[in-house]
Amino acid sequence: MSISESYFPEEPKAPELKTAIPGPKSNAKLAELASVFDTKAASFVTDYYNSLGNYICDADGNKLLDSYCQISSIALGYNNPVLLKTAHSDEMAVALCNRPALACFPSTDYYEILKEGLLSVAPKGLNRVCTAHTGSDANEMAFKAALMFQANKKRGGKPFTEEELTSVMENQLPGTSDMVILSFEKAFHGRLFGSLSTTRSKAIHKLDIPAFDWPKAPFPALKYPLEKYEAENKAEEEKCLKELEEIIVNYPSKIAAAIIEPVQSEGGDNHASPAFFQGIRAITKKHDVLMIIDEVQTGGGGSGKMWLHQHYDVTPDIMTFSKKMQNAGFFFSEEGLAGDQPFRQFNTWCGDPSKALIAKTIIGEIKNKDLLKNTTETGDYLYSKLFAISEKYDTMLNLRGKGRGFFIAFDLPTPALRNQLLGECKKLGLNIGGCGDQGVRLRPALVFEKKHADLLSEIVEKAFAQL
Amino acid sequence: MSYTSKLFPNEPTAPKVVTESIPGPKGKEAIKTLGEVFDNRCTYFVADYEKSTGNYIIDVDGNVLLDAYCQVASIALGYNNPNLIETAKSDKMIRAIVDRPALGNFPGADFETLQKDLLKHAPKGQTQVWNGLSGADANELAFKAVFFNYQSKKRGFNKPFTAEEEETCMLNKAPGNPEIAILSFKRAFHGRLFASGSVTRSKPVHKMDMPSFEWPTAEFPSYEYPLEENEEANKKEDARCLAIVEDRLQNWRCPIAGVIVEPVQSEGGDNHASATFFQGLRDLTLKYGAKLIIDEVQAGCGGTGIMWDHERYNITPPPDLVTFSKKMQSAGYWFHDPEFIPNQPYRQFNTWCGDPKGVIMAAAICDQIKDNNLLEPLKETGLYFYSKLEELQNKYPKLISRLRGKGKACFLAFDMPSGEKRAEFLGKMRLAGINVGGCAEVGVRLRPGLIFEKKHVDIFIAAMEKILPTL
Repeated sequence: MSISESYFPEEPKAPELKTAIPGPKSNAKLAELASVFDTKAASFVTDYYNSLGNYICDADGNKLLDSYCQISSIALGYNNPVLLKTAHSDEMAVALCNRPALACFPSTDYYEILKEGLLSVAPKGLNRVCTAHTGSDANEMAFKAALMFQANKKRGGKPFTEEELTSVMENQLPGTSDMVILSFEKAFHGRLFGSLSTTRSKAIHKLDIPAFDWPKAPFPALKYPLEKYEAENKAEEEKCLKELEEIIVNYPSKIAAAIIEPVQSEGGDNHASPAFFQGIRAITKKHDVLMIIDEVQTGGGGSGKMWLHQHYDVTPDIMTFSKKMQNAGFFFSEEGLAGDQPFRQFNTWCGDPSKALIAKTIIGEIKNKDLLKNTTETGDYLYSKLFAISEKYDTMLNLRGKGRGFFIAFDLPTPALRNQLLGECKKLGLNIGGCGDQGVRLRPALVFEKKHADLLSEIVEKAFAQL
Repeated sequence: MSYTSKLFPNEPTAPKVVTESIPGPKGKEAIKTLGEVFDNRCTYFVADYEKSTGNYIIDVDGNVLLDAYCQVASIALGYNNPNLIETAKSDKMIRAIVDRPALGNFPGADFETLQKDLLKHAPKGQTQVWNGLSGADANELAFKAVFFNYQSKKRGFNKPFTAEEEETCMLNKAPGNPEIAILSFKRAFHGRLFASGSVTRSKPVHKMDMPSFEWPTAEFPSYEYPLEENEEANKKEDARCLAIVEDRLQNWRCPIAGVIVEPVQSEGGDNHASATFFQGLRDLTLKYGAKLIIDEVQAGCGGTGIMWDHERYNITPPPDLVTFSKKMQSAGYWFHDPEFIPNQPYRQFNTWCGDPKGVIMAAAICDQIKDNNLLEPLKETGLYFYSKLEELQNKYPKLISRLRGKGKACFLAFDMPSGEKRAEFLGKMRLAGINVGGCAEVGVRLRPGLIFEKKHVDIFIAAMEKILPTL
């Protein structure tokens, strides 16, 4: 029995379409909802009770094959029975009704939940975890860890000076820091003030918000197909690495850390080679810059490995996660990254045991059902199907993500055509997302199988035919 | 029968300490093990939440403690409240946990109902809510809302961005990323991320080594206690502080788009201010075109005997935004002006845009408070608690001073002569079976749940009576 059949015996065999999307009920609901919630970004209103497995059901009863999955954050499909069991458990009820201030009064089972859950899939070398609430929160806490670590190092482990203690209360140097976090062009790391300062995806994400004047380095723009442009791409990556090193060497203040996504997702599904990431690791090590890998979108198995950077054979100092894990935070190894004193990396909740329980269940299922193998195999299959479409339609450009599980994307010649394609797919019963200005990204759950890949590629091909 | 007796028939009648220290041997072992994977340096003890009930938290060694700290003021209705357990097991909660939506893109069909259930409990004058995930998150989302609003007012609400704005923001430079500020107060605490950390001014350890925005501060009143005997001096203090606010609004080197203030500065030492001060602040923000954000993260959700503490000041017109978290078990900001919703999608946006799980829990907590009229008896308990503490203050004037929070239910605090004495006091109270927290350098703050009763006050006071002579 296939994975999806065993989880979801009642999963639809194909998309079921009853109305236009959004249909009359969705539209009516959206109009009502608009009185209490900003609905300008809403695609349709979802009936989560009737969504199942790889199919998302809308308020009109349309069932769409979902290859977007709540912006890449649903790992095991909708209403997964094992997650339902966890949600129904007494453990969950206790976690929900007695949410602890975890750093001060951790629960008896928190160690076990972390150990059997998140830490059992910690990337090699990073055996400690700090839990948080969202991807932005995780990244900003990682920045804090890096900044405090570097400052403590500079201070030589000595106590704060009187001047530091006074000036920091006025947001002035030397107590406040002029160290910076470096990020890459087109990066997306979140939308709070520190994380947004490292986000460089689109103006709409950044306008009108005060930002730190932090440096950015170029991210390679690879040409596809990779086999055809090997030399050019290698030169492009080398150029980017060279620029990175120049920025680090010449920057007027200390760069505490560099943050990078293993695949830039919001920014357009921009990939780079293992050599590029190894190059960054070497340069950051050489210049005493910590390396933070942001696995918020790429992590959780979608690439066929638990964390996408594991395709590259690099070990960062810190790795952040959220989305598919349903729990956010960062892994690290160096003890000093927890802060040289207690109550520095601290907040009321420091995470949420109810989310840690969900993460543990998701991780357990990834192992039990060998979902990474499914992702790898189905991903390869899906790529080959899309490759065949790209051979047929000139409008499918830059197909990428080969060998990266479901982390597949392609471009269209213009943003307008991309939006048209997304619309056509939706009409045909496929929920699919865009990224960057003209990219289309695939983000199905880990329970997406060949039969779903067949349906997806059939719909995508039909949609291309209609452009 | 009281709500507490009805819901927690098995609540212990007194604390019970069974080990010589807290944490005891099992607790120490558990903390050590946890330390392999998680920072344990702030850990007081490891709690057994399955066994904890009502006002009592039970640790892994079996010590039973009366809890007047309640997860840093975030447990409203006691441990394992059966009505909340029911909410936790409800269909809507199960679905919220298993199928967590990207709410901005794919809201669930029941989300409108969830929002309306929550909005029933909005502070006076507020009609809308935007959801976040933590107090720091809520405050920063509120700052973003203020900055969007400020710049779009300047630009014309529906005017497009200029090409220069679009280009410069990608370089983190003005005019796309303008230099505009949020004013906060000395001793304020609003969170620990980068912008919230910039407005937090409580202690160096909260801020050290973080890059921060060079934003202005004003002074929050420091009153003399008891209030009745120091009316004149405190009135002058209000005027002094308001003059500083006005000076900043007039003279700061960049525009001040918003002012954020706690109704009671909590982490910063439980500092209270008067209705005159808050109304003065409102008037100044209106005069100079800044928005007023009230941070109800710690004070809100009933802890002071009314649902939202700032409501007692009858600030007119009501504040522009009110943030919440902690006891609400969800986070976000309330607002009422539709122009705080940006004119374009994907500006105030993120993957989750809150969490239906939190929204459901928040509404359930607020419903419990309202339907069971929990705040009236809590006010009574608070007055009783205050009078008992006042007696102790009179008896031990060298140990207890500046008792404050009268009339604000159990949101009480007092100072001790030094940080060391305070630490000794808190430690001894714990060993006497009472979990209580400090704030600022020498403060002791009381943050019991909303189900704290006179019988719990008596236990608390009896422990103090035993301990104070030993300090």
